[in-house]
Amino acid sequence: MQDVVNQVINTTFGWNWPSWAIALIGYLIVAVILFAIAPFQMLFLTLYERRAIARMQDRVGPNRVGPEGIFQPLADGVKIFTKEDIVPDAADHWVHFIAPCVVVAPTMFMFVVLPWGPGMVPVDLNIGLLFFFAISSVSAVGLLMAGWASSNKFALIGAMRAVAQMVSYEIPAVISLLALVLITGSLSIVDMISYQGGLFISSRDVASVPDWGLGWFIFTPVGFLAFVAFFIAALAEGERTPFDIPEADSEIVAGYMTEYSGMKFGLFYLAQYVLNFLLCAITSVIFFGGWQGPGVGWLYAQAITPVNPQGGWVFNVLAGVLGVVYFLSKTYFFFFVMVWIRGAFARLRIDQLMDFGWKFLIPLTLVNVISAAVWVALTKWGAADGLAFVEGWSPLVRWAVAFVVTLAMNLGAYLYLARIFAHSQAERERLDDEVLESLINVV
Amino acid sequence: MTRAIPLEAVLVVAAALFCIGLFGALSRRNLVGVLMGVELMLNSVNINLVAFWRYLEPRFITGPTFAIFIITVAAAEAAVGLAMIIAIYRSWLTVNIDSVDSLKG
Amino acid sequence: MDLLIQIIFGLLSALIIGAAMMVVTVRNVIHAALWLIASFFGVAALYLTLEAEFIAVVQVLVYVGAISILVLFAIMLTRSSEGERLLTQHWWAAAIISLGLFGAVLLPTLVGHHWNLPLPTGPAGTPESLAGVEELGRGFVNEFLIQFEVAGILLTVALIGAIVIAFEERSRRRRVLTLSEEHILRQRQQATATAAQAALVTADAAD
Repeated sequence: MQDVVNQVINTTFGWNWPSWAIALIGYLIVAVILFAIAPFQMLFLTLYERRAIARMQDRVGPNRVGPEGIFQPLADGVKIFTKEDIVPDAADHWVHFIAPCVVVAPTMFMFVVLPWGPGMVPVDLNIGLLFFFAISSVSAVGLLMAGWASSNKFALIGAMRAVAQMVSYEIPAVISLLALVLITGSLSIVDMISYQGGLFISSRDVASVPDWGLGWFIFTPVGFLAFVAFFIAALAEGERTPFDIPEADSEIVAGYMTEYSGMKFGLFYLAQYVLNFLLCAITSVIFFGGWQGPGVGWLYAQAITPVNPQGGWVFNVLAGVLGVVYFLSKTYFFFFVMVWIRGAFARLRIDQLMDFGWKFLIPLTLVNVISAAVWVALTKWGAADGLAFVEGWSPLVRWAVAFVVTLAMNLGAYLYLARIFAHSQAERERLDDEVLESLINVV
Repeated sequence: MTRAIPLEAVLVVAAALFCIGLFGALSRRNLVGVLMGVELMLNSVNINLVAFWRYLEPRFITGPTFAIFIITVAAAEAAVGLAMIIAIYRSWLTVNIDSVDSLKG
Repeated sequence: MDLLIQIIFGLLSALIIGAAMMVVTVRNVIHAALWLIASFFGVAALYLTLEAEFIAVVQVLVYVGAISILVLFAIMLTRSSEGERLLTQHWWAAAIISLGLFGAVLLPTLVGHHWNLPLPTGPAGTPESLAGVEELGRGFVNEFLIQFEVAGILLTVALIGAIVIAFEERSRRRRVLTLSEEHILRQRQQATATAAQAALVTADAAD
């Protein structure tokens, strides 16, 4: 972006602006585009979710406004904008006012490190992945503020539940990504995507594999387990069914949003859908290669890049379009899976949620980190690191051995933990039953 | 960065933060308030470590290592401290430091 | 460019110091915790201007994402003394100590001391080589291994300690029955009642 701005201002007009002004303008343009895309997309995700869930429940869904109801989100938007903004008398006015902003701002920040296509990332931070999750944890503060400032018990309970859930599920999410960071050797999201070229096997692990853009992490045992754990944790972070306990409408009205109306309510809604989109996007980026796919790598190799200034700009456009198409189709597929899960599962209880997170998911992801270390040792280390016996093997053999060993480790850990977890759940149920029995005796 | 702002400026900011935190830790009646003061003090120490690293020896990682160590200590301290506050609240039904004085003799 | 950095630095220091002042003076404890979060954010941004991106992100992740949430939770679980005195009786002594420390000890020392900064190498404008995340990771498993392990042990101990201190025994917990449990209870009561009745009936029949 900055090259283009520089070209227009300094070469075409000849104004000779300093580089920081060029950078500022470039970032401003990117920011404006992202800020326009995010709410627009959220509008149509809501429509999509309502139609899809209606279809699963054998209903029709909103289909009145415009053909097949595609203008329904605009009608909703107009409704939300024109509603009266009511603040409870007992509310803490300033905190009540700031809370929606604190919830929305981090979700917008998270777009900063999200790559949309080859060479299409707003900022390539070398700690991008960590940044993504650090910023996402900020919105928990906003939820707590909203729940407390409303001075409503349902709001406070909802906020407490939301924050407890977000904080505990952040741990398995981050640990499952840690395994892949270990394999990639980098925290940059762009590096993680470029690692996933290849065909079934990443071409960084085995150099002789052709680069079809299909060496996704999901095809390795480590990546697969990390994906399952991460997606469950993402459902919990995005407050999707079966983890939508914070806003279980049949128990606590609407959770922390209870005392909000008008555009402030709209902002919470926006934040939620944008967060869901971002979580789907990061899932597709980390585990399914993001913009990687057949053809993109070849097209991008012909394009104008810092490495290859003699390329053709047509290839830039083609690679960008194809990459964005791959990326968005994966992302929307995961959004569909989220909707699908909402149509298929019932809500969990809060103690079931906490048990599952702390007693099953976190140990499993920890084992996965160890598997990742074994993977790295078997595929990359040599005699210098104390692994002389792998030296003579060909890369393909090393890859296969690593695959088998990590598969065995992960499968064993999964089966063992599942047994322990089922046992502990049975024990808990027995204890609950005892309490009930004692109550009966009292009665 | 190192040309635009002298090291002293960063250190003075950290020192001011430390003194404010010290005042909070010494004068607040609420136990959570005391803890917040301590967190401010730890933060100011971290600013110092990072500033010294950046200005004096940016090629070595000693500064960031200790900053991370202190962040770890702060997290542990917050967890244990808040657990103690909740335990105190459960038996005294208050979190004011001047009412929790049964060890005074 | 230098002017821009100086303006940003000034704003950030104002944010950090102002928010910290609010933390120690504001009456409402929740507001104090929210100002504390603002101060943490300012410190994270200051790290960014000092080009320590990793520390900045860790600051946000740990302080804003975890510690401040813990503080807010603790405040909400222990809400008691509204409208009481904010500070202890001897707060003026604390104020004198802190002001004296800052004005008489720290400020003169910091400004008066001569720091032997390394001279900038190379022409102006070239980025310096900074230790990044990779060096940090390598350092933690080589020369700083002891610190790393101590931190790990410390965290484990803190985890166990916090659970042990704040743990409330299951039997002492106030327990509200859920709707389904009430339903089960009622069903069982009915079952025992009908069983008793049936026993009576059979006893009658036996007679």
